[in-house]
Formats: sequence, structure tokens, C-alpha cells
Amino acid sequence: MTATAHDISAGRVFARTCAAEWTRLWSVRAGRWFAAAAAVVMVGIGTIAGSEADPTAVRSEPAWMASTVTAMPAQFALLALALTVVTSDYATGGIVPTLQWTPRRTLLGLARTAVAMTAATGLAVLLALASALAAYLAAGQALDLPWNAGLDALGTVALVVAGGSALAVGLGFLLRSTAGALVAVFLLMLVLPFLLPVFGYSWMSAVAAVLPGSGAAFLLIGEVPGMTTASSVTALLGWAGGALLLGWLRLARDDANR
Amino acid sequence: MIEVRGLTKRYGDVLAVDDLSFDVAPGTVTGFLGPNGAGKSTTMRMVLGLDRPTSGTALVNGRPFASLAEPLREVGALLDPGSVHPGRTGRSHLRIAARSNGIPQRRVDEVIDQVGLGRAARRRIRGYSLGMRQRLGIAAALLGNPRVLLFDEPVNGLDLDGVRWIRGLLRRLADEGRTVLVSSHLLSEMQQTADRLVVIGRGRLIADATTEEILRGLGNGRVRVRSSRSEELLAGLRDRGLAATRTDVDELEIEDGTAHDVGEVANALRIPLHHLSDVAQSLEDAYLALTGSSVQFAGSEPVAEVAR
Ligand SMILES: Nc1ncnc2c1ncn2[C@@H]1O[C@H](COP(=O)(O)OP(=O)(O)OP(=O)(O)O)[C@@H](O)[C@H]1O
Ligand SMILES: [Mg+2]
Repeated sequence: MTATAHDISAGRVFARTCAAEWTRLWSVRAGRWFAAAAAVVMVGIGTIAGSEADPTAVRSEPAWMASTVTAMPAQFALLALALTVVTSDYATGGIVPTLQWTPRRTLLGLARTAVAMTAATGLAVLLALASALAAYLAAGQALDLPWNAGLDALGTVALVVAGGSALAVGLGFLLRSTAGALVAVFLLMLVLPFLLPVFGYSWMSAVAAVLPGSGAAFLLIGEVPGMTTASSVTALLGWAGGALLLGWLRLARDDANR
Repeated sequence: MIEVRGLTKRYGDVLAVDDLSFDVAPGTVTGFLGPNGAGKSTTMRMVLGLDRPTSGTALVNGRPFASLAEPLREVGALLDPGSVHPGRTGRSHLRIAARSNGIPQRRVDEVIDQVGLGRAARRRIRGYSLGMRQRLGIAAALLGNPRVLLFDEPVNGLDLDGVRWIRGLLRRLADEGRTVLVSSHLLSEMQQTADRLVVIGRGRLIADATTEEILRGLGNGRVRVRSSRSEELLAGLRDRGLAATRTDVDELEIEDGTAHDVGEVANALRIPLHHLSDVAQSLEDAYLALTGSSVQFAGSEPVAEVAR
């Protein structure tokens, strides 16, 4: 009974749980595959875009364009990574030992969310940097690499992927199914924001404007009619917060996996 | 020490666990018995905070399991051995467990040796047999050197060596003063390993006593008799009010009788006997007598046939 003799602070338990979650994430192949997919997309497209830059327009455009533009498709691999951190435990039944080792559910939810978001966002920033560098190097003299624009671009990518991965994690806890949560993420982040305005009804466009995918698209590539930076950030973070709240409620109140 | 008080779990119309109360004391192996669907797993899941009771409480060492900061150091549990991520190696599964509870990583290799997982620990769980998953689950349960252990059907899928190993392990853990609760429907197994039995049926407590008491307290013995003139003997026994049934071409069994009675009847009728014996009262019989009315998934055979 030596263990109960001294009380362990919640902070200590949280740190240990995060360490365990980090090992859990990288000890299966899925996490590494999603990371590799994002890397191929971001560095690959960055290189291609750089090599096709117009060499006559001497140092006109910043190579940071590559960071945000390639993050648009690559974010989905990172969101899938964050999502499967949560849902694979339900799919395999691994949630049963997980909760035996960390039975404080709110604490587990916080640690799992923090680790998934950190992994996805950290990778996004690193790959955004790599993508811009690849474009810059491939372009020879055609692209510029100004540092202040770089901070802007990396910050935007970080914000979008942090918001998106929070949404994915929340939906994962809420739906507990990889397929279900993936479909929900794709609908909210990609399909509905682009499909709804196509019908031409103003109310459909209005709905599209409050979806998180519209916010992400505006922040990354601009050119989304009716969106502003403020409305984009609000839509993205609002959905992320809502999904996390619902996911936490299900985790904290329901039976472990039935 | 495990204390279960008024524990109840309802799934829609199904009352899986119904106002169950019992204690599991340290230093003994307590068997948790019940037919399929009796609610054993559900009870264990509620003790471990996995499922929320509809009402009632379960305390481990005086506290709800879900409040423990380092649960592996107090309670080790083996539930469904298939509930693990198949893409991980057994070793990394255990390393994650150790990390989450602040247990030194060298303990991982110790328990791997202790359960005999050996080199398989470095392979992916996907390729494990049921017996190996069972051992991995037991390794995780032992990792934090806990005072309380729960095993849900631990001999499932183990070969004879494995079964013997589990038996020894349970005994040793209890002798070290730990609290051991083990569920099983291998009744003969419980007869050999459990000091106490908590018997449930349809979610309700049926018996909570020492194994010996349960065996002793169950009705009179049975007698088995063989004779080439079993037809005559059967009629004669029934004439004298003994509940005899045919169990084979030349074999009869008599409930609630003694070898003495049967011998007297045979002698009076001048029927030669080829065999006459008391049938040892096994836990199976005791168990069926106890749970007979609460078996949910009884086969179509009569109970007496199932017992053998
Ligand atoms: N998630 C669930 N939803 C509905 N019913 C459930 C659920 N889980 C268990 N049950 C029911 O609760 C009852 C008890 O099940 P439980 O698994 O606890 O039995 P058990 O004693 O462990 O049986 P076994 O020996 O077969 O393992 C069963 O009738 C089962 O069908
Ligand atoms: Mg069971």
C-alpha cells in the first residue's frame, strides 16, 4: 500500500498520462502513415509549385504561399491522425485497458486531446516550414522567403490545424467510430462548405459560411466569398469547442465502450 | 478488499445485475460463479468504473476505483483479453501501462518473464494466440504489484500447463495476503482454487460462503448402481419410493438414497449387482442445484444429463 501513502498531484498524473498517450500514438503504424502522407503532400506540392514559378518575375512572390496552399489538402491527413488517436481505442477495445490505467475520465480526455492536437499541429507547422523551403529551393531565384510573412503563414496553418484537430478529436469522442467521425469531419470541413453555395440559394450559402471548413479555407487560401478573418476564426473555433464539449460529456458520463 | 453494495445495472429491459452485495476479503481466492449472462463481467466492469451502475456502489480498498491516481499499484484486472490494439507489440502495450502509472520500465520486462511471454513480447499482438493475449493481460494486471486482483475467466484459452500455472498464481497471490476475485464457469476449476464462492444467477446473489460450506450444505448424495437386470431393479427401487433414473443400458442413478438402501432392495429382489457406489457430490451438482432456476440459456437436455 505504499502507493497510497503519498498523494500524487493531478498535474503529475496528467503529465504521465500525456507521456503514455504520446507513446500510444507513435507505437502503431496508423499515426506514422498519416504523418508520412501529410509530408508527401506538403513537401511534394511545395517542390512542384516552386519549380514551376515564373523565373522572369524576379523575387516577386513569397515562397510561404506553398505553406498555406499545401496545408489545405494535407490538413485532412493530420485531422485523420488526431481522430484515430481517439477512435482506434474504441474500435479495438483498447479503451478498456486505457481506462483501467487512467480511470479519471476528464483527465484522460484532456491528455488525449492535448497530445492529438499537439502532434497534428506540431507536424503541420514543421511541414509548412519544409514546404516553403522546398518551394524556395526549387524555384531558384523566382521566389522570396521573407521572415515576417513566414511567421504569418505558419501561424495560420497552426491555427487551422489546431482548430480542425480539436473538432476531429471531439467528434471522435462523441461518435466513437472511425468511419462515422471521418465522414462527419469530411462533411463539415470539405464537402458541405464547398457544395452548399453551388446550389445558389442564399440560405444555403449562409449555412456554408458558418461551417468550420469555410473558415479553414478562407484562412488558408482566401477567396471564399462572404468570409472574413473574424468569421472564419469564429466558425472554426466555435465548432471545435462545441465538438469537444459534447465529446467530453459522452466520455465522462457513458459506459466505457458499450 | 472489495465491497459491493446494492450494485444494480439495467440495460433497457435487461436487469444485468440486480441489487448485488458482497465482500471480497484479502488473503483468499474468491470464486465468482454464475451461468452465462449471469452478470459476472458486468459486475467486474462496474467495480473498475468502466460501466456506470444504475444504482449501488463498489469500493476498492475503501475508495471508488475511478478516483485512484495510480490504479495499477492498487488494483490489477484482466477482463476481455481481446481488448487491446492488435498493431502494438505486447511490450509497448505494457510500457504504456507502466508510463501511465509512474511504474519503472524495468518492471515491464519482469512481468513479461513472470507470465512466460518471453520473446513474443516483441511481436505485434495481432499474431498472438488467445492464451498469449491472456498472459499479456495478466502481465498488465501484475505490473503495479497491486493488493487487489480481478480476473474474468482467466483460464479461458489456456492449455493444461497454463491452467496449472494460473491455479498456482492465484494461490500464491492470495497467500501473499492479496485480495483475489476470479470469475469462471469452469466449476471444477473453482473447486480446486477458490476458498470462497460468490454464486450469482440472473444478476442476483445466490450464495456467498466458503467452498466447503457450499459443497457440504447441498442435499444428500447420489448412488450409482449397475446390474444386467436393471429393468427389474428400477421397478423395485421405485416401488420403495426411491427416485431412480436410468443413465445407461445397465446403469441407474438414485437421488437422495444411500448405497445401503439400494443394496437392501437388490438383495430382497435377489438381483445381482455389478457395481454400487456413492457419486461424489461435485461443485457441478451443487452449482446446478443452486442456479438451476436461474440458468438463462439452458440447453434442451434435462439438467441431470448436463451435470455429468
Ligand atoms: N451493453 C449491453 N447492452 C445490453 N445488455 C447487456 C450489455 N452488456 C451485458 N448485457 C446483458 O447483461 C447480462 C449480463 O452479462 P455479463 O456479460 O455480465 O454476463 P457474464 O456473467 O459475464 O456471462 P459470461 O459467463 O457469458 O461471460 C446478459 O444478459 C447480457 O446480455
Ligand atoms: Mg463474462
